[in-house]
Amino acid sequence: MNFLLLAAEQNTPFNYLPIALQLLIAVGFVGIMMGATHLLGPKRRTKDKLINFESGIPSVGNARQPMSVKYFLVAILFVLFDVEVIFFYPYAVNFRELGQEGFLAVLMFVGFFLCGFIYILKKGALKWED
Amino acid sequence: MDIQQILFIVLSAIAIGCALGVVFSRNPINSVLFLILTFFAISGHYILLNAQFLAVVNIIVYAGAIMVLFLFVIMLMNLNSDTEPQKNWLVQLAGAISGGILFLVLLSALVSATKTLPVMEQGSNDLGLIKNLGKTLFRDYVLPFEISSVLFLSAMIGAIVIGKKEDKFEDVH
Amino acid sequence: MKAIIAATILGVIMMFSSILMKDKKAIITIAALLLAVLLGVNIWDVMATKKGSNFTFLFNNMILISREGLWFNMLMTGCTFLYVLLSGKDIARVGTHTAEYFALIFFILTGVYLLSSYNNLLILFIGIEILSIPQYILAGSDKKNLKSSEAALKYFLMGAFTTGILMMGVTLLYGSTGTFELTRMDFIHQSSVNGMSLAGIIFLIIAFGFKVSAAPMHTWTPDVYDGAPTPFTAFMATIVKSAAFYAFIRLFQNTFGGISNHWTIVLSIITALTLFIGNLTAVFQQSVKRMLAYSSIAQAGFMLFAILSNNAVASQGIIIYAVAYSVATIGMFAVLMKLKDYTYDGFNGLAKKEPVLAFVTTIFLLSLAGIPLTGGFMAKYFVLQAAIMQGQLFWLVIFALLMAAISAYYYFRVIIAMYFKQGNPELHEPLSSGDKFMLALTCVLVVLIGIAPQLFLASI
Repeated sequence: MNFLLLAAEQNTPFNYLPIALQLLIAVGFVGIMMGATHLLGPKRRTKDKLINFESGIPSVGNARQPMSVKYFLVAILFVLFDVEVIFFYPYAVNFRELGQEGFLAVLMFVGFFLCGFIYILKKGALKWED
Repeated sequence: MDIQQILFIVLSAIAIGCALGVVFSRNPINSVLFLILTFFAISGHYILLNAQFLAVVNIIVYAGAIMVLFLFVIMLMNLNSDTEPQKNWLVQLAGAISGGILFLVLLSALVSATKTLPVMEQGSNDLGLIKNLGKTLFRDYVLPFEISSVLFLSAMIGAIVIGKKEDKFEDVH
Repeated sequence: MKAIIAATILGVIMMFSSILMKDKKAIITIAALLLAVLLGVNIWDVMATKKGSNFTFLFNNMILISREGLWFNMLMTGCTFLYVLLSGKDIARVGTHTAEYFALIFFILTGVYLLSSYNNLLILFIGIEILSIPQYILAGSDKKNLKSSEAALKYFLMGAFTTGILMMGVTLLYGSTGTFELTRMDFIHQSSVNGMSLAGIIFLIIAFGFKVSAAPMHTWTPDVYDGAPTPFTAFMATIVKSAAFYAFIRLFQNTFGGISNHWTIVLSIITALTLFIGNLTAVFQQSVKRMLAYSSIAQAGFMLFAILSNNAVASQGIIIYAVAYSVATIGMFAVLMKLKDYTYDGFNGLAKKEPVLAFVTTIFLLSLAGIPLTGGFMAKYFVLQAAIMQGQLFWLVIFALLMAAISAYYYFRVIIAMYFKQGNPELHEPLSSGDKFMLALTCVLVVLIGIAPQLFLASI
């Protein structure tokens, strides 16, 4: 494990080795479990078995109905604020070094976003019921 | 071959394979899932290049938020009928030719660049670290950073104007 | 720089006025007032710089303030002011979000100011995006109209694709020169003129060609201009297009001017194609709105001459052309918005029913066709003179004159319909005296540009 400790001291791609390992194990575990149950489990492909399960009630209607555009409105607003948050990561790391000037720059940016947020709230974009 | 090269080849293979999957799969949901995999592979590339910030952003914003948006859009569509219109072969041919020409232009550009250019300064190895990126962003590139907020504001207005139900308003005459 | 900040803040104020106010008339008044303020800030900006003074750099050389750019900003803000005064009521009629439409117009003006002063490819990119994204929204603002939604979607998809091409061009240029900064990007050393930078320049030509609707990147223009609500078509076809052209000429004259031998041939083919396709297709249109869309492609062909000729007359020419074309087109669209029927037949007999309207329409059309004593003539004169001075574009100038003769045909068709045909054109509402005054003022401006173009270049 010596090389892991060594790598932690400087910022190299190898810092991400633990994350890669974890990802590999997580994905591998899920994959193996799914594959194994698929292969090992008993199978009886009758017509009744292959029908969609809806708590025993005969299925009604179509599953693929277009959904309300309201979800989309919320999702797109979420993306905008998500991107705003992204800008905070590099600022947070350099908070001390950037000093007052950096603080004012971020304040102005957040100020604009706040204007947008108040506007969205007042317009009722996040209200679900009409 | 050292470990970095092996990782590069593996990630590239995943990225290209999944990107082809996006284009060729018939089911749009599968396309989106392939796209997410492509983003993960590209994030891996960013990490190999030591651009850790980009890798994180790529996963949070692209694989997370924007893909959710894509899924919503797909659910807005009518997916019942499998009627993907068959493209005219002439259109396909034209697409293939123009795409091929674009590919050749880019290839020649890259080849000429590697021949004549002094290798662009690779920079110190930690150019893409969050710390250095933050310093550049908030000092040298502070103006584009601030101005991008105008872009966000227009996007918010756009979401309201296009996505919100019209409320009653008196008319001008 | 003051103008950039002012436009953004006024845009935010406009945004909030939609929450505070419900009365559309009040919103239009506020928008006009704020635009007057913005115009004042622009004039202040121009006054603050001395005539013939050098450039000033701001924000790590991201922004280059020149008197010419500030002058251009002022003229474009003036055009926007005129546009809002002329068709404010029609903007309010598009949908319920009146204040938002005006806010988007203010944001677009921020983009215009950025494009007239960028000295960094990143600012160019952001400027073009700020110019485009509000336009996608404005194009689709008439939600009940299927054609408007189609226009917005088409414009957005094509525009997003072009943004990718623009970014690719910027990346290639960065790769070959190692900088985003235009003043540091010198192409005198042969080492930086290689396949990579040339591919970058071609990509930028494609991206700009799309934004200014030059053939063969023009295919979106007729559908979008036809489908978008008419007031916003007027804005897109004039101020936004002029700003894109100004950004185009700044980049290609100042930065890539030294290696013009590499791109002149590509651009002259694009110019010839634009003139040919724009004028020829306009002849066959039945709707005046669609004809104006093709005519805007044809006019873009003339503006491309300014970029091709790459000299001092050209940079004056683009400003005169931008103003003359914008004022005449804004006027023409304002007339169109008054009518119910956008086909040629809708203009039949207008001279009998509304002689004032018919007269101003005639002046606007004469200007667009480039008849002497109107702004359009002076504009064409300037750009073609610049092209002749360049020396190698004589064939293209002859071709352009031929195409201008064709353009007279479809402009005069409207005039003939108004004066020599019988009909009963329907108007949305009778012309008020305010409307008449504004149209007459626009008309005077068109003639003024034609008689004294130096007035509009006086301060550079």
